[in-house]
Amino acid sequence: MILHTLNRSPTESRVYRQALAAMGPDDRLLLIEDGVQGALPSLVRHFGELEGRLFALREDLEARGLAGRCAAEVLVVDADGFVALTEEADKTVSWF
Amino acid sequence: MQHDSVETAGELLIILRHAPHGSSWLREGLDAALVAAAFGRQVTLLFCGEGVTALVAEQTAGPLGQKGTQPTLEMLAMYDIDTLLVDQQALDERGLTAADLLLPVRPLAPPQLAAALAAHPLVLNF
Amino acid sequence: MASSEIYRYLDVLGKPVALDPEGFLIHLDDWSPAVAEALAAEESRTLTDEHWEVIEVLRDFYDRFEASPAMRPLVKAVGQALGPEKGKSLHLMRLFPDSPAKVGARLAGLPKPANCL
Repeated sequence: MILHTLNRSPTESRVYRQALAAMGPDDRLLLIEDGVQGALPSLVRHFGELEGRLFALREDLEARGLAGRCAAEVLVVDADGFVALTEEADKTVSWF
Repeated sequence: MQHDSVETAGELLIILRHAPHGSSWLREGLDAALVAAAFGRQVTLLFCGEGVTALVAEQTAGPLGQKGTQPTLEMLAMYDIDTLLVDQQALDERGLTAADLLLPVRPLAPPQLAAALAAHPLVLNF
Repeated sequence: MASSEIYRYLDVLGKPVALDPEGFLIHLDDWSPAVAEALAAEESRTLTDEHWEVIEVLRDFYDRFEASPAMRPLVKAVGQALGPEKGKSLHLMRLFPDSPAKVGARLAGLPKPANCL
């Protein structure tokens, strides 16, 4: 399993499509920095069917005032959770 | 011949996602590949998104004097970097085919892209 | 890229040739066989036919790829041009002790190889 991180918003950059195309069926996607915009209910559809595999970083959501506005299907993790995800993955690939 | 699996590829996968000239990302990615290969690592390149335009034939140096990418691409074989994967969708989106490219490549559909990432112990994204 | 910092001048047949701190040419166009001889003489190296054929391989490599080769591609290029007997790092180590890719590039008037030990 690969942990993919994405730090760009789907409305601002199409790199999320490359990340999705490169993801295997068990891979996970963690939204960080500007990428957390994608966790909003109106934008989360861009990530298709990643149920249980789509994460967003709490610190970056909070910093943008978005912590309470996340779509229900997004799993919010804090920095420790990020570390745990990294440890569970064979490797991490960042998309930026 | 082009059907050997991506699992046999190499130790390091370098993903190139940027076009020539507009930024230094492509050159930095190629430099990283050459350094790794010079130290004996088995390197695979994956051209994704805009990165596929790095392979288009008949390109030249940039109008502002940016160094061309073609000589570096042609040099890859001297560093034993022979596995060049491309994102088939990115070619399709641009109306390109493998025949439009400088070097022989292996186009990959999305499931194979994921397999290529999974198959390499180390993946660097440029 | 060649360094642009002129550190000293080497006299080659009465003409000053600008060098960087590591002895690479500042202006690659300054190169001539006489420059290679003068650079080699400074280090008490004598250039034989076997050296010259490798220098030619190096210059050809740069013409084709616009870069100086690291050791592995140099070995490969020499093997392709001069045959498998010479395409060996031992042969190149004997001709250009210490660092064949670096010393060879310097004598051949190429920039310092980027990815060199």
